[in-house]
Amino acid sequence: MPDAHVRLVGLSKRFANASAAAVDEVSLDIPRGSLTTLLGPSGCGKTTTLRMIAGFYEPDRGDIFIGAHRVNDVPAHRRRTAMVFQDYALFPHMTVQDNVSYGLKLTRMSGDECAKRVRSTLDFLDLGGLEGRFPGQLSGGQQQRVALARALVMNPEVLLLDEPLSNLDARLRVSIRSELISIQRQVGITTIYVTHDQDEALAMSDWVAVMNRGQVVQWGTPWNVYYQPRSAFLADFLGTVNLVHAPVLSMQPGSITVQLGPQALEVPFDGDPPGREALLAIRPETLTLGNPIDEGGLALRGTVVRRTFLGHVMRYAVRVADQEWLIDQPDPGGASLADGEVTVIVNSRRVHVLPDAAE
Amino acid sequence: MRVFRREPALGLTALAMVLLMVLFIVLPQVQVVVAPGLQGYVTFFSEGPNWVNATWNSLRIMVLSTTTAVLLGFVYAYAMVYSQMPWKPFFRLLAVLPMLSPPFVVAASYILLFGPRGLITYDVLGQSPNILGLYGLWGVQTIAFFPYAYQLIADVLARADPRLEQAARNLGATSWSVFRTVTLPLARPGLAGAVLLVAIYVVEDFGNPALIAGQYTVLPTLAYGLITGFGDFAGAAVVSTILLVLALALYFVRLQLEGTRGGSVVTVTGRAGSMPRPPVPRAVTMACFAGCLLLATLIGLVYGVLLLSALVEAYPFNFTPTLRHFEYVGAHFGSLRNSLVYATAAAIICSSFAILLAYIVQRKSWRGRGLVDFMAIAPAAVPGIFFGIGYATTFNQRWLDWLDRGALIVLSMIFWNIPVGYRAAIAGLQQIDRSIDEAATSLGAGSLRAFRDVLFPILHGPFTTSLVTAFVRAITTLSVVIFLFTPGSAVATITIFQLVNDFNWGGATAFTVSVIGSAIAVLVVLWAVSGRRVRLNELSNA
Repeated sequence: MPDAHVRLVGLSKRFANASAAAVDEVSLDIPRGSLTTLLGPSGCGKTTTLRMIAGFYEPDRGDIFIGAHRVNDVPAHRRRTAMVFQDYALFPHMTVQDNVSYGLKLTRMSGDECAKRVRSTLDFLDLGGLEGRFPGQLSGGQQQRVALARALVMNPEVLLLDEPLSNLDARLRVSIRSELISIQRQVGITTIYVTHDQDEALAMSDWVAVMNRGQVVQWGTPWNVYYQPRSAFLADFLGTVNLVHAPVLSMQPGSITVQLGPQALEVPFDGDPPGREALLAIRPETLTLGNPIDEGGLALRGTVVRRTFLGHVMRYAVRVADQEWLIDQPDPGGASLADGEVTVIVNSRRVHVLPDAAE
Repeated sequence: MRVFRREPALGLTALAMVLLMVLFIVLPQVQVVVAPGLQGYVTFFSEGPNWVNATWNSLRIMVLSTTTAVLLGFVYAYAMVYSQMPWKPFFRLLAVLPMLSPPFVVAASYILLFGPRGLITYDVLGQSPNILGLYGLWGVQTIAFFPYAYQLIADVLARADPRLEQAARNLGATSWSVFRTVTLPLARPGLAGAVLLVAIYVVEDFGNPALIAGQYTVLPTLAYGLITGFGDFAGAAVVSTILLVLALALYFVRLQLEGTRGGSVVTVTGRAGSMPRPPVPRAVTMACFAGCLLLATLIGLVYGVLLLSALVEAYPFNFTPTLRHFEYVGAHFGSLRNSLVYATAAAIICSSFAILLAYIVQRKSWRGRGLVDFMAIAPAAVPGIFFGIGYATTFNQRWLDWLDRGALIVLSMIFWNIPVGYRAAIAGLQQIDRSIDEAATSLGAGSLRAFRDVLFPILHGPFTTSLVTAFVRAITTLSVVIFLFTPGSAVATITIFQLVNDFNWGGATAFTVSVIGSAIAVLVVLWAVSGRRVRLNELSNA
């Protein structure tokens, strides 16, 4: 892993009157220049972790390092961790210009230099011409960009984003999402992004830390956490999944053979022996209906129970043995709609054995 | 206290503010309570003046005046919010007048109207009755304090969602049963709040009983009599302590009520105001109009007779117009100027202090802030006369002679009014998301800087409310300052009180008209400067 810019070591926080810790022994190395997402359901401790990095909360235990410095005792306003808030938190009584230049003025930067920086940041974010407007006179997307400009203009050590897209409508969210990625890549600033939306996390991140009940339950690339989740909770949280119990037939170095329906299937695996039964996670889009073409594939017989049109895919519910499987078929118009008895083709390279089957 | 260790400037500010409050709020009050000593209390209760009678009188007038004032307040509020009667802006304006003037001017007017040589009793009816005593006081306090009940109840009624009543109508309820089963229960928190607020005002009222209660002695007038008649500060301290206990009890019942029920019973929705209420029957509207007109006429009479008396040669014998009474205003211009200067200074300092205090208490977590919160709201429960005696006993000392008495009066006005600004600021802060301060912090602003640049400008509204309310309360108070003034630092209310006691009615009324006039002028200037219309109903939010 590249060198860590932000390091969290055994970070813990429990709020007064709370029965469980909000953040429980979280340790993370966040690589320099990366966009790292803290992903998890509400109440998982992701925002608390972010706010401890920003200095808004005091950790009960553990250390926060930014670069080489331990920042636990640095007050929030000296940490150089500019934050973009969920509701933007633009100062309602200041114009766009004043909002964006606010932080620079506090640094006693010369007026010319300050104006130049604000100018170029506003242009960079395509906000030219809106300098004199007040936040109330801007659209949601524009407010979002002003909030980002206000943080970026500070040239902070670390950029913190707290669910910045959740107040936008679905279409805008997707377009601003890609804008954000390209800005982050251009500026190259270490960014920590908090969201509960797994699509957002997968689409945007270099690294994802999935959190649950105050702990980091998985850390990896988006590909990694999506296709190789550690547990059923993670598999389910990151997207629709078929969880299939399968008896273990044998184990080899680097793979494992399980029984799926009437047949044996060898899938990659190098964890601890799962015991007699393995729990498999199979994403619906990796399954196909029809004839087995691929030699790695495996064909199972099933019956279509119902189908749901989702726009980008047709989702079939197919009964295989005694379990319902979900299968996503893109471009369903090509063939006629499947019905009755069908064949389900499993791509063995996309079958994942969950290492923590117990969870 | 880690908050303060990280930001020493904030910590020092908080420390300084707490020390000032201990010195100017806690110390004087503790001083009054402990001054008589245990022996003093024993002696007083066994052989002192007739305090049982005064306490009983205070309680009786509290029940009577509160009942009628709240009843009238409710009728007025119902008429303003529900009925389709005409002239609403006029009625609204008239109901504000009593709040802008020293409360005891109602008593003065009452004497001018109904006294032995009253306009109505003597000139119209040819009678010269003895009006001093319980009934006069009852009537006067009803008129003087019903506007506070009206403002509070109208606020609660207006916030109730009209859809609730529409739903009741929709389910088949008649307008009477809607009133009984929906409107009245929804108004209950407002009614209860109004009862307790008015009860406090009645119990601590000093000016009205002093002028017209006659032999009917209540606690504040007993305390005043003990000091001015016998120089008995210890006895007065005991009497005011009884008064304090009474007012504190009322106040904390009120806080309890507001905390638990006030918010939750009434459905507050942003759109409620824009939706029309179902019309009330025409007869009800007519009755409302008649009732309001009657009350408005009474208020009109009260202030009309003041104006009349100020502008004629010798009311009520010689009605030749003259401006000569305003010469008194010129002669005592110092006290009018003092009033304006002191009240303005006190309002500005008090509001700034309170808003910063509210920020430090509401936004930062530190041990002891609950206690500080209590210190900041407690003065609202302290009767003015108690506050004044506290300042007099604590700060009227030889080694403090270098201190200008005017400064002492300003200090008393500042700290007596802290709850006004503090509660307004807390309510305002609760509506501002914390992410606003955090945004400033994450951009490099320390707490005090963030307060100055971001929160203070956003709290513009509550700040203006606080300025206006503190100013009006400071300029109209008599009881707080009556033991503090010196000839050079007398304020207008004291001059008026003395002129009334000298039966110089022309001078007293000319002075009153000038005070009310300048108070209104200051408010108009403030509106013009702040660019925001201060909602006058906020005046009752002390």
